[in-house]
Parts: sequence; structure tokens; C-alpha cells
Amino acid sequence: MATPRLLVAIGATLAILTLATGAAAQERLILTVGIPNDIGSLNPLVGVEVPDYEVWNLHYATLTDKAAEDFETIPGLAESWEGSDDGLTWTYTLREGLLWSDGEPLTADDVVFTINRAREEAWLNYDSTVANITASAPDERTVVLESSVPDPKLPTMDVYILPEHIWGELGPREITRYDGLDGVGSGPFTIAELRRGEFWRLEANENYWAGRPAIDEVVFRLFNNTDAMVAALTAGEIDAAHYVPESSFEQLSETEGIVAIEGQQGGFDELAVNGGDGLGDPHPALLDLRVRQAIAHAIDEQTIIDRVLEGLGAPSEAMSPSANPEWIPEIPDEERFDFDLDRARELLDEGGYEDTDGDGIREMPGGGQPLDLVFAVRTESQTAPGIAEFVSGWLQEIGIAVTQRPMNDTRLLEVVGRGDYDMFVWGWVPFVDPDPMLSYFKCDQIASDPEDPTNYYNDANLCDAEYDRLYEEQKVELDEERRIEIVHEMLRRFYSHAVYHVLYLDTDLQAYRTDRFTGWVRQPADVGPVMFSNSSPSYALLEPVSEEDEAAEGDGEAAGATADGDDGTSTGAIVALVALGLLAGASLVWILRRRRTVDERD
Amino acid sequence: MNRRRVIGKILASVGTLAFVVCFNFFLFRVVESDPVGNLYRGRNLSPEQREELRREFGLDGSQAEQFARYVAQTAQLNFGRSYVTNEPVIDEIARRAWPTVALVGTSALLSALIGILIGVVAAWRRGSKTDYASTGFTMATYSMPDFWLGMLLLLVFAVGLGWFPVGGIVDPATGGGLERLLDQAHHMVLPAATLTLAYLGEYALIMRSSLLETMREDYLLLARAKGLRDVAVRNRHAVPNALLPVTTLLAINIGFILSGAIAVETIFSWPGLGLATFEALSGPDLPMLQGLFLVFSAAVIVANLAADLLYSYLDPRVRTA
Amino acid sequence: MRGAVATSATRIAWLRRRRAVTGAWRDYRRSRTGMIGLAVLVLAGLVALGAPLLADEGDLRAVNAIDNPSWAPPSEFGPLGTDNLGRSVWAQFVWGSRISLLVGLAATVLAIVIGTVVGISAGFVGGRFGGVLMRGTEWFLVIPFLPLAIVLAAVLGPSIENIILVIGITSWPGTARLIRAQVLTLKERLYVDRSRAFGASGRHLMGRHILPNVMPLVLANTTLTVPIAILSETTLSFLGLGDPTRASWGKMLEEAFRAGAITREAWWYFLPPGLGIMLVVLAFTLCGQALEAILDPRLRERRS
Repeated sequence: MATPRLLVAIGATLAILTLATGAAAQERLILTVGIPNDIGSLNPLVGVEVPDYEVWNLHYATLTDKAAEDFETIPGLAESWEGSDDGLTWTYTLREGLLWSDGEPLTADDVVFTINRAREEAWLNYDSTVANITASAPDERTVVLESSVPDPKLPTMDVYILPEHIWGELGPREITRYDGLDGVGSGPFTIAELRRGEFWRLEANENYWAGRPAIDEVVFRLFNNTDAMVAALTAGEIDAAHYVPESSFEQLSETEGIVAIEGQQGGFDELAVNGGDGLGDPHPALLDLRVRQAIAHAIDEQTIIDRVLEGLGAPSEAMSPSANPEWIPEIPDEERFDFDLDRARELLDEGGYEDTDGDGIREMPGGGQPLDLVFAVRTESQTAPGIAEFVSGWLQEIGIAVTQRPMNDTRLLEVVGRGDYDMFVWGWVPFVDPDPMLSYFKCDQIASDPEDPTNYYNDANLCDAEYDRLYEEQKVELDEERRIEIVHEMLRRFYSHAVYHVLYLDTDLQAYRTDRFTGWVRQPADVGPVMFSNSSPSYALLEPVSEEDEAAEGDGEAAGATADGDDGTSTGAIVALVALGLLAGASLVWILRRRRTVDERD
Repeated sequence: MNRRRVIGKILASVGTLAFVVCFNFFLFRVVESDPVGNLYRGRNLSPEQREELRREFGLDGSQAEQFARYVAQTAQLNFGRSYVTNEPVIDEIARRAWPTVALVGTSALLSALIGILIGVVAAWRRGSKTDYASTGFTMATYSMPDFWLGMLLLLVFAVGLGWFPVGGIVDPATGGGLERLLDQAHHMVLPAATLTLAYLGEYALIMRSSLLETMREDYLLLARAKGLRDVAVRNRHAVPNALLPVTTLLAINIGFILSGAIAVETIFSWPGLGLATFEALSGPDLPMLQGLFLVFSAAVIVANLAADLLYSYLDPRVRTA
Repeated sequence: MRGAVATSATRIAWLRRRRAVTGAWRDYRRSRTGMIGLAVLVLAGLVALGAPLLADEGDLRAVNAIDNPSWAPPSEFGPLGTDNLGRSVWAQFVWGSRISLLVGLAATVLAIVIGTVVGISAGFVGGRFGGVLMRGTEWFLVIPFLPLAIVLAAVLGPSIENIILVIGITSWPGTARLIRAQVLTLKERLYVDRSRAFGASGRHLMGRHILPNVMPLVLANTTLTVPIAILSETTLSFLGLGDPTRASWGKMLEEAFRAGAITREAWWYFLPPGLGIMLVVLAFTLCGQALEAILDPRLRERRS
């Protein structure tokens, strides 16, 4: 039959064509990073996604920068600054000769424009930083910031400075809808191309104040499938990967030529118990501190880390209000709630919670309501179901029943605001300055309007007047040492109420190859991630691996990988096509050859 | 065919579509949610900002006003903005439509072709081992959860043998043009194979029984009496007539394969509308879900209409009526 | 009948019915595939009912599995290995069969009941009312099932009751259409008209003639709807819309996929539930086909 032959001919032609096209050798130095999350919005006023922040960190420079080792405030666009005696006014001197990537000069006017409009129009992402600050520019290289209240965050000013000659054209409404794709920036790289669902590309900025970076391009490739991302990393098709799945992490850390990292940035997950000060009421037992303490003693965080996180997490007792670990206090032994089921049972016995009807569940003192707590399980979380599984198991062992109620985030927000819950598991990712995170647990942050139950931050539903007082103190404390002391005291108080049980500090799992680029830095040092960190310092510091090393590995790896990739793809396709063709042809032949008459078969 | 009939059928389809649009609206309004709060968690919004955002999301006004606005917007193909990306839903859908069209189209075609082929063979060799084997095979694949079959194929051919990629639609390293196209085809082999195998069973079974029934018809006896060879009898008379119920099945099955694509695309991370549905479930991203539901329904309604019209056109008995 | 004198028309009717049933059973027994299907179903039923005997319910809890190795293949930890949290896969399989079968059957019952009521009403009453009912049914039929189920489940929230509800109310149209067609056919049969001529009431017709003749079809349709319901529950659970607190075969597949069982080549985690579903669905289909063959003489294969 002609069919199989024709198919083979087609296949051969295609093979020749593709091999001829081939993969051109890469002349530009391109860093490719794999990530499974797509860009949300590139508008720094309103975007919220993790990849968005990474692009802004590269595209826009800030007045002050953050050191990679410890988040120390270091010069950025401003080379120096001076504060007034009362600490309310800071004067920054910009570097000489600053230019935007399109060649326009970067002056104090851009800074003033950004900060003042951000304050006036209450830009969502800027508001908490600039709400009390007025900016002015006595001359082109000088910026004066005046704060109406003492602000310990100053002189740190790390909001993204926008080019007035582009953004100044937009009115208050338009500016929140602007897509931010003009490509004019002042960071080490500027955005060159965005293809949603596929990739986004940034190019080196010749006019970057710290000098043009060594690499020419950074490409972030979106992978819908994390296994495919890992495969691409091991094959050398990408140079680094973020949000590596737990199932591949171990295998990657044992692969030669690849470094796998558990990056901590202060993010944590907690088991939150209803403190009872909200609109609604929890199970009455939870109002008793003893019961909450018993629950705290019944949680084995290490097992959760080992089993649910496959060992990829770090324990923490107190809440982490900052990416900088120095803000987290140590909880002394006598105050700690260690995993101790016997102690938990003791506490419940002391409180008079006995199992009067022998069903294994304790009741309120005097034989009232059984201790059956409602556990809201976040359906969007990978880990919440596993955690709920363990927590309910342990609580059952100490005589408390748990009813799991699955909920999506939208509903959970409402439920927590209304106070109609007993427990849930959720997480936070703090900033570098602890203030925002600490502010969330003040008394006035508890939802108070039944019509609008989601306007709140205090999802512990706990009001502690002393905590609030300490908060106000640290908010204006300009001496860092003293401020740390105050914050530690606040967090120890918070811990003692046993409403927030920090389960673990979660880690960003990342991996990068060592054969093409070198110079990755962790932020903060030793424990932090190398990418998607607070100020993303790595990219500007990366350099190609020296040529001797490359030749030694047999310029094989990079080029070879791509060529292999091509061959593999084309070969696979050809094989598939030919096989399909042969199969189709064979079956057709086989069927049509059967020419026995119907009579013979009946 | 009777023009009035055609218009009648088209109107009926439009009516169904209208029903779906209304149903869509009320369904999602049942969910008492505050999407503004959810999206902007982590920022202290002032009441004015909230009001502004609520207006942007179209959540202000009475139910009737919201409904009227919804219908008007839907007519203009404005499905609102995604809660996740804040981009217009219709853009998202347009962007992700073609991978699903490619996958579902290929699978629908292949499952029909192969299924019909198997059905013909099985019917023609009724009672033989081939019949039992093929019928058994098709019933087995038809009884499997389609995505489970995908997991098996992934395990054997992608993870185990490494012949095919583990997911996605294209390797990042490929350039453009032909190379890219071939790579995409390479990535489509496993998901298409999954959907094809999972859905060819129905074609095989129906073709088989349809053909068996047709073979008993009188006009075949006449053809044989005329001395035509077996194969000719089968190919020129039996099969074409037996194909009739199957052609409508083709269009109707699009609905099933489209639904099946939701789970299968998830397994293979195939970036189409199915995966978009799965992703929209976290949240849930209600505007996205609404838009997708509408698109799926519209696709099936149109396919069914096509099947209906096609059947009327093909069936000689109906044509003269 | 030999010797005995029939005492009433009712007795005759019952005896006739019983003979029909035994006759049908005899015919059914002749279908080899039908018997295989039945055997598999009985086995599945035994596994589901006998779950407490086959596996300790406590093994389903992760806290009890802390000492187990996680991701252990069957060779290391029998009989089916462990999952990502160390729980016994065998326990999940055995206990999960209960939910999968329960949801499948309950949803089917719901769908059949609604469908039969609608179908009979539409067919029997006919006219405008019937037309409206059928138009509504057509609408529901055209809406693609899975997206509708997904949307409903997403809105209602994941729990066993909701899943049963969702599957039930998305599956009834097929049954309704079938039943209505049958009722229309029956209405045309002579004896119905004759009864009417004799002044029989609607209720009499319904009870004596329509229902008994529709029931076999309902039965056959039921056995063919259960597989759809089971597969639907599997898919919905897989997409995360099922009840996360109960083990089911669909949930096992969801957890396996989410935990990366495929890349870990942990076949023991996702192979058994899929096979279980496939066998149960296949069994129901075979039984259904055998039943259909008995009821519809046209479908019977000619025996040479």
C-alpha cells in the first residue's frame, strides 16, 4: 500500500528539515528560571503575586536597598542620608548621573512624584509605608522626607520609584489600571516581553546605577507542571527553579551539578484557635486558657514537619513577624508548650473536663456539652488536609473530638471574621520590618461589623490591652535594641495565650545548576532563598562560570543538552508519526484482506 | 430540509443557551462571598476603597440591577475579570482555548475513527475471538476513569520509559516554527491517547450493534443476491447505513470528551480550558468559573445542534418528511 | 396451574409475576457476561460490607501510622504499601470502597426516582404539562454534565450529601427521557385503552399497567446509571470537590496525584483504586446489558 511508504517519506523530510534548522548556539548570556506561578499584574501599585514582586525588584530601583546577609539598610538610588535630631526629617542625596533605562535622567522629582502621589491616592502597595510622609526636592539630587509621626522604619525607604515622565501622565484611576509594560525602569534588568502563560523576559539595563549586570537576559518560564520543571532543570534546559515540589527535592539535592536549597523567609503556618473576642462565639471550652494550653501540648510539630512536609520545614515556637530572624524571641522552657499528651490530659482533668458517658469524648464541667471542636480545613492548601488529619488524631487521644469542615479561602475569611469557628490552619509571610505583622493582632483589628465580616486582620480573635500598649511603644521606638526587646515581650505574651500555635516555618524549595552561572546569594545569609527573596540581590551579581571550567566539562553540558533536547524531540515525534502510520496502514491492510464471503462464516 | 424546521431547532438552541446564562447568574449569586475582601486580604481598605472596588467588580446595586448588568455584559462577551489575575476572563479563555480545541478535536476524531473501525471489525466477525477481544478491550477502557488511564500512561511512557514528556505543552528550549509545532504534537501524544482510548468504547459498541442490525436488513440480501462481494456489500451498503447513528454520536460525544478534558488536562498540565477550570476551583475564581461554564455549555449546545441538523440531513427517511 | 383453583385476579397476577421473575432469572443465568458481572458485584459488596473485618479502621488515621514508613511499596509493608503520610493503602482501599459504592448507589437512586417521576408524569399526563417537563429535561440534558456538576459542587461545598445531591440532580434527565418513551409506548397498547373504556381510573392504570411494565426498564437503567454515578464521584473527588474527611477511591487518586505518586512511581497507591473502579463499573455494565437483553427481545443475539 502506498500509505505507509508515503508516511515514511513525509517523516524523513520533516526530520531533515528540523535537524537543518537545529538549535543555534547561544551567543547571549541568558539565565532561565523556571516557576510554576504566573504573573498577576506588573503594576507595582496593585499587584500581589510572588512573581510580580520579583520582576519589580529587578525592574525598579529603590531609594535605599537591603543587604543580602541581614536586611541591613544600605544605599540604593540614594548614596547617603541624614536625619534630623527629632528623627522626623530625613534628607537623602541621590547618586550622580542617574538615568532611567530609556536615557531620561532620574532625579529627585521622580522620587517626590512617587511618594506624594502614593500618599495622596493611597496606592495599595505603598500606603503603609508612605501614609505619614511628605516628600520634597530642594534640588535635583536631594530628597527631603518629612514624617508626621516618629517612624522607626526610616531611613529605610524601599518603595519602587516610578518614572514621572511615564506614570505622571496617568490620572488617579488610570494609574491603578496601567499595565506597567513600558519597559522603563532603573533596576538591573527591565522587562522586555511578557507572554502570559508562557514566559516573561527581562533585559540588562545599561543605565543601572551599580553597573550593567554580567548577564544579558533573565527569562522566567512558566511551568504548569512542576515535574516537567524539574526534568527541565536536570536536562539543563533551565538554570534554576523555584517552588520545586517536595517529591523531587531529595533527588535534586543528590544530583551532581545541582544545588537544592530550603529557603526561609519568616513565612509560617499556624493552627489558630478562636480567642473568643470576636463577633461570634467559639466552643465554650476554648475560652478556658487551660484547654487551649492542653491543645498546644497535643501538637507534635516535628511529626507534622516530617510527615506532611517530608522534613522540609523548620520548627518555631513564637510567631515570626519578620523575614529577619532576630525579631523572633526564644520561648523559655517553663513557658513552652512541648508535645506532651499526658500533660495535656492533666490540664483537662484539672479543669474538670471529664468523660462522663464513656464515649471517649470529654464534656464540659458538670457533664454538659461534649468537647467537639470544628476544624475549618482550607481546601486550597496542600498541607492543610494532612495537618488536620494529625491534629484531629492527637486531640482524639486526649478526649477532644474534631469535626473537619472543608472550606475555601473566601468562605473561611468570612467565617473567621464572624467568629463562627473553633480552629483553622493558615499562614502568613511577613515583611522585613515587623510593624505590619505585629499590627494585625491589635484589638482594633478584630472584625466588628457583622455586615462586613472580612475587613479584619486579627484572625486570632484575641484582644490583649497590654499587647496593644507595647505595640504603640515599639512603633515610635527609634533605638533598635530597645525596640527588639519590646517586640520580643509582645510575642512572648501572645504565645502564652495559646491561640496561635506556630506549626513550622515554611521553606521555599529552590534549585539551581552550577555549570553555567555562579554567584547566587542567599537572603538572609545561610538560611534564606536565592531567588524570590525580599530584594532579589542574586541576579545582578551572577556571572558566567569561567571559560576554563566550561571547557573542562566539555562545552558539552549546555550546548549538548540543547542539541540533545532537539534530537530527542524530533526523534520522538518522528517515531510517533511513523509508528502511527505503520499501525494505520497495517490495520487497514489486515482488515481489507479478509475477503471471505458472508456465507462461509455464518 | 424544511427551512422552518431548521430555524426551529436553532431557536431552541438559542433558548437553551439563554437558560444557561440565567442559570449561571443565579448559581453564583447563591454563594455569599466577599471577593473584594478575599482578593485584598493583607491590606487595610478604607470603606471608600471597598466601595470603589465593589463597584469595579459589579457587586453593587440590587440583585435585579446586577442581573441586568450581567446579561448585557455577557452579550458583549464581557465575562468580568478574574479574581486571580484581574485580567478580563474572556482574554484568559481566548488564550487557553486552542490547546483544548487541538486536544479535544484530535481525540474526538481519533476515537471516532478507531472506535468505528473496531466496531466494524467486531460486527463483521461476530462471535469470533476478535469480536470478544475487541469488545472486551473497549468495554474495559470505557469503564476506567479517564484520568486514571492518563496516570497509567504517564507512569509507563513518560516516567518509566521516558518516551514522552511528563506534562506541559512545549519544551521551553524549542524555538519557533516547525520545531515548536512538532514539539507540541509530541507533548500531545499522551493526553490525546488517553482521551481517545477512554472514549472510543462507545463508538465501537454502538457501531457494532448498529451494523449487526443493519446486516439483517432486507436490502443487504438484495445486494448479495446481486452477487456483490462481501466487502463491497459491507462497505457500500451496510457500513454507510450503520454509520448514521454514529455520526450524531460524534457531535454529542464532543460534550463528553470536553468534560473529560478537565481531569485529563489536569493530569498532563495541558494548558487548556480544562486546566483553567481546575485552577479556577481554588478560590474559587468565580468569574472564571462562570465564563468557562458558559463556554463549555455553548460548545456542547452548538455541537448538539450540528448533530441534530446533520442527522436530519443524512437520514433519507427524515429528509423527505 | 395444576389442580389449584385461582382465588382472585390478584393472585393470578402475582403468580404470573413470580413466574416472569424466575423465568427472567433463568434467562439471565444463561448470559455468561451477566453472571461474571454479578459475581464481581457480590464480591465488591462483600468487601465493602466486610471492611471492619478486612482492615482496622484505625489504620486510616495518620497519627496511628507515625511508625510506619511512608511511601513504602507492598514488598516492604503489606498488603498494598503505604502512602505519603504512612497510612496503609489496603485500609484506604477497603474502607474507601464503602464511600464509592454508597455514593454511586445513593446518587443513582436519587436520579432514578426523580427521572422516573418526571418521565411517568410527562408520558402519562401528556399534553402541555408533559411538553413543558420534557423541554426542561432537554435543557438539562444539553448542559454538559461535568462542568455543571463542578459548578454545583463548588457552590454547595464538599461533603458526601452534596456530592450525592449533585450527581443525582445532574443524572436524571437520561432516565426521564427513557421512561417517558416507554410510557408513551405502553399508553398505545390496546389493553390500556380497553381498561379506560371500561372506566378504570388513572390510579388503577398507573398501578396495574404502567408501573409494572416500566419497572424492568427502570431496573435496567439503574444498573447502567450506577457506573456513571461512580465515575462521577471519582472525578469530582479527584478534582477536590469530594468529602475530604472520608476515604474513597476517588480521594485516593486525588491524594496520590497531589503527593506526586506518579513521579515517585508509587504505583501501589493509585493502581488499586482505579482497578477497583474499573471492575465495579464494568460489572454493572455487564449486568445492565444482560438485563437489557432479557427485556428487549430485539437486542437478543440470534442463537444458531
